[in-house]
Amino acid sequence: MDGFQTELVALLPRLRRFARAVCRSDADAQDLVQATVERALAKRGGFRPGTRLDSWAFTIMRRIHIDEGRSKTRWGRVVTPEDATTPNVADAAQADEGLRVDALAVRDALHRLPEDQRLAVALVLVDGLSYAEAAHVLDIPAGTLTSRLVRGRQTLIQTLTEQGVSA
Amino acid sequence: MTDSFDDEILMRRVDGELTPEAGAAIDAAAAADPALARRLEQLRGLRRLAREAFPAAPDPRDDELTRMIMAGAAPSGRGRGRLADAVRAAFAPRHAPVWGAVAAASFVLGLSIGWLGQDRTPEGFAVAADGALADAGLVRVLDHDLAADGADSEGRAVGLTFRDGAGRWCRTFQSGEAGVAGLACRRDDAWRLEALAAFRPSGAEVRTASADTPPTVLAAVDALIADEALDAAAEARARDAGWR
Repeated sequence: MDGFQTELVALLPRLRRFARAVCRSDADAQDLVQATVERALAKRGGFRPGTRLDSWAFTIMRRIHIDEGRSKTRWGRVVTPEDATTPNVADAAQADEGLRVDALAVRDALHRLPEDQRLAVALVLVDGLSYAEAAHVLDIPAGTLTSRLVRGRQTLIQTLTEQGVSA
Repeated sequence: MTDSFDDEILMRRVDGELTPEAGAAIDAAAAADPALARRLEQLRGLRRLAREAFPAAPDPRDDELTRMIMAGAAPSGRGRGRLADAVRAAFAPRHAPVWGAVAAASFVLGLSIGWLGQDRTPEGFAVAADGALADAGLVRVLDHDLAADGADSEGRAVGLTFRDGAGRWCRTFQSGEAGVAGLACRRDDAWRLEALAAFRPSGAEVRTASADTPPTVLAAVDALIADEALDAAAEARARDAGWR
């Protein structure tokens, strides 16, 4: 077991968290985590030791997610009511135990953000990356990252306020 | 007054993206301006809720992914099948009672494929080709530390200590810095890995044995334990006797 493997294993909870923030259904998140691990192992030679494995792995996950998104239904555009609720119910049974109603509202609101903003918010607010790190993962300029964060957060606060959730 | 701060700079404040001076200036302004203070609090609350909504919790499916990661490091020039056979040959006597009984057994196999044939690695966890733990720091902790000692400076700690059906001493451990927890048993004066899984400490306090222990490791304990885990006094006696 080498350092790469150890680090990648230790990274699993964060990879899954990021996947759950960008995917609405738990099953999609699991598929995304698995595809990311597979690609990370296949492309291991592309990782430079001494650099951040988390940034590298998040970048892989982001690419896979975007590629899949292009061939799938776009988020929040063409969604049937059933699609919108069923996965959440499944999630609730699985992982939402003890989660406050407010946190559930945030989860739902985040899932309804446009893709670009959702990724930015997931990396900075949920995972806690710095702006520079998040911009690197998303491969966008710092200014673009900031504006997506601002718009995403404004929308979240507005949505939550309308629902009576006090952030 | 609030007008002098746009949303972006307040978000930067909340995200820790401002210099200390710029941050202090905003805090000072907020202290004198309830509306500004309210906007800041709203942003902080959203950040808090976002983290709460997506906890980085262990997931049972991580075990399968861990196996994949371990297996993925098999040296490319060697066939998986041959390695697997070698692993079976090396481990069959020891694991004969365990094979097929618990999922942990196949985990050990998956893990073994990863490190068999590799020697110690410059970073991470060193395991000799025969399966003995070669990580000096972890070996020292397994040799000398008691559960009550808690974690050392690199987050290494022991949890449960018990004897398996063959009378071997076994101890669960965690290595916070390496991000793994596992089970090692004593044979031929060396600690041998029985199970290993991803681990993330839930807090600074690691004195309790099993609160954070991954399911894979707990399953391996259940499969191997002969009687009960030792209490603190018995653990100290076993340690003082040199794990004989």
